[in-house]
Amino acid sequence: MKNLKANPLLTFFSAIIMLLGLAGFSSNQVHAEESDTLRVGMEANYPPYNWTQQDDSNGAVKIDGESLYANGYDVQMAKKIAAGLGKKNVVVAKTQWDGLLPSLTSGKIDMIIAGMSPTPERRQAIDFTNAYYTSNIVMVVNSTGKYANATNLADFNGAKITGQLGTFHYDAIEQIQGAIKEPAMKDFSAMRVSLESKTIDGYVSEKPEGISVSSANPNLKMIEFKRGQGFHLDPSETQSAIGLRKGDSNLEKVNEILATIPEDERDKMMTTAVHSQPKPATEGNWFINIWQQYGAMLLRGTAMTVFISLIGTIVGFFIGLLVGIIRTIPLAKSRGKRWTTRVASFLASVYIELFRGTPMIVQAAVFYYGAAQMFGLNLDRTLAALIVVSINTGAYLSEIIRSGIISTDEGQFEAASALGMNHFQRMRKIILPQAVRNSLPSVANEFIVNIKDTSVLSIISVSELFFTGSTIAGQNFQFFHTYLTITFIYLVLTFTITRIFRLIEKKLNGPKDYNLMANQEQVTSNSREVKN
Amino acid sequence: MANQDSIISVRNLEKKFGNHLVLKDISLDVTPGEVVTIIGSSGSGKSTLLRCLNLLEDPTNGEINFKGENILGNGFEITKYRSKVGMVFQSFNLFNNLDVLENCIVGQTTVLGRSRQEAEEMAMEQLKKVGMDPYIKAKPAQLSGGQKQRVAIARAVSMSPDVLLFDEPTSALDPEMVEDVLASMKALAHTGLTMILVTHEMAFARDVSDHVVFMDKGVVAEEGTPEKIFNNPKEARTKEFLKRYLNQ
Repeated sequence: MKNLKANPLLTFFSAIIMLLGLAGFSSNQVHAEESDTLRVGMEANYPPYNWTQQDDSNGAVKIDGESLYANGYDVQMAKKIAAGLGKKNVVVAKTQWDGLLPSLTSGKIDMIIAGMSPTPERRQAIDFTNAYYTSNIVMVVNSTGKYANATNLADFNGAKITGQLGTFHYDAIEQIQGAIKEPAMKDFSAMRVSLESKTIDGYVSEKPEGISVSSANPNLKMIEFKRGQGFHLDPSETQSAIGLRKGDSNLEKVNEILATIPEDERDKMMTTAVHSQPKPATEGNWFINIWQQYGAMLLRGTAMTVFISLIGTIVGFFIGLLVGIIRTIPLAKSRGKRWTTRVASFLASVYIELFRGTPMIVQAAVFYYGAAQMFGLNLDRTLAALIVVSINTGAYLSEIIRSGIISTDEGQFEAASALGMNHFQRMRKIILPQAVRNSLPSVANEFIVNIKDTSVLSIISVSELFFTGSTIAGQNFQFFHTYLTITFIYLVLTFTITRIFRLIEKKLNGPKDYNLMANQEQVTSNSREVKN
Repeated sequence: MANQDSIISVRNLEKKFGNHLVLKDISLDVTPGEVVTIIGSSGSGKSTLLRCLNLLEDPTNGEINFKGENILGNGFEITKYRSKVGMVFQSFNLFNNLDVLENCIVGQTTVLGRSRQEAEEMAMEQLKKVGMDPYIKAKPAQLSGGQKQRVAIARAVSMSPDVLLFDEPTSALDPEMVEDVLASMKALAHTGLTMILVTHEMAFARDVSDHVVFMDKGVVAEEGTPEKIFNNPKEARTKEFLKRYLNQ
């Protein structure tokens, strides 16, 4: 995000964002500093630092825009900071790790309290307070695996090791002689799944996370290294600090507050956090347990996925229709009209190239974070998601509809022209009904793609099905089972949609047989009835 | 100059596809109520001439007058003109998305602004004339070629045109279906409708038309009454063409 101002593509995106903002979408300037609420960004998925839970027990705070709560060491620390700053409320903005920095710099949150280490790279983008927790770097391994009894780094010769993307944990793997450095993973849930399924032999973590995971999941085990036998790290890297926007005047004050919390109190807070983190149900059928515990969350996630995909596909369809029509307008004879058509057609192809040629995840990030950073537009997440999915789908469908139009038999155009229809009439009455009918299978396809691809919207923390699944897996540590449940829901959704579209197609095709109006009298009397 | 009695009068018409000259210096007059057939071998330019008449092709040069008005002039209302000059295609071109009845209604309501009721009555009347009224609920894909073409004729006639153009209306049909379509066309000719048709049906040209135009290599080689063309052709190429066709 460092290059945000220089990139012409981003500038273009932002211009679109600007226009949409002017067009009256709900948007408001960011005034985070002045309110009496402290908005804190964290993953809410990294116990014991932070996690998501269903109620406000153990002093949890509300997650912004959801009926869920966040708790953990970070949340308790945030409450202390808020009290010290004289703010009444703490609200947690549940944000993916990659989204934390842009969220802060774009003003969507006031500070990052997410177990984040103040690395020099990050210091270039934001300011950090003094440490609010100092931990140890550990290795988490499978408790029945080959490396369960390792005691020093040398024991990991030949092991497949990974770490979280964008953390120093991952860079530290290079200190292990002979270890195979696997690609970095997005979050701890992913690493835990990999470890349990033995696709990796271990991942680098910090002690609190290690305690947490080994107490919740007996299959996983934390390896602590004795002094001198573990990783050699800059002390700053084992520390967690609070991230603030550059030049935030609260920096001094927060440091003063932190100074009032001594080491032993911090350790006590961490122990409490480890004990109060949600424990998964271990008795009975896992599938039933997941539904009983998280059924409501899963349904909300499913509803969000269906909502965004459905609206996105419908709006995208109309955008596609419009753009498809514009791109197939025949060149008029008069010069002025010809230029208008050419310009409109050029803009339409720029739109298609831009949105078909870039990943939706990038569009979402640029749209949501870019708008806030550059113009102070604080778009609602769901609205931003709807806009991105609609525009993206529109780009694909406009090409599908265009091909539907140009593949309609030339004779249909000619016969309509011969009746004296103008371009608009021809399109509306004859060509589009056929083009749309012919493009229905592709629209269904796009809808299904949307159901699945909305999962990338987790980048802007929209709590669709996949994001919900990750959250649940982060709580119950039953990664395989949770993702299997999610898989099942996705399949039910896509299968149902396929069936529904089949029915629509059948309906549009009409009956295979037609009734012969053999009785002339009946026909005449029918048409008389119409007349009267 | 344009013949005052003509409903359509073509003067020095030229059409090029790229550098290829398809129509050369064509002049033709059609009086109201006349049935004109255009004959000639494939590639002689007959269909192109017909398509120029309702501007599905843009002529590169020359003049086409409809009731004394140049249809190629600036500001001429092409759509209005086309609604008065109907066309029946070789490949029928029924609207695939509409059933038989709607095919005959859609032009009337959208272009002529007729009421739904009025349009439906007209459509039923014309469909009955071609014997297709039992099929009003059928989609084009469910009909045979001959049935489609009869619906196409009803569709064109429902627009109450001044002139009706037929572009090889029976060429895509199985032999046993040709008769039905020709019968419908014959009946139309007797109503006094002005018709211009391109056809390979020599018997029809001889028996039904008032005027026959023989085209060869993009020019009108010979024209006149059916008796004159079929019984007494002057040009060698007309004779050769007819010999080939009538001996078949």
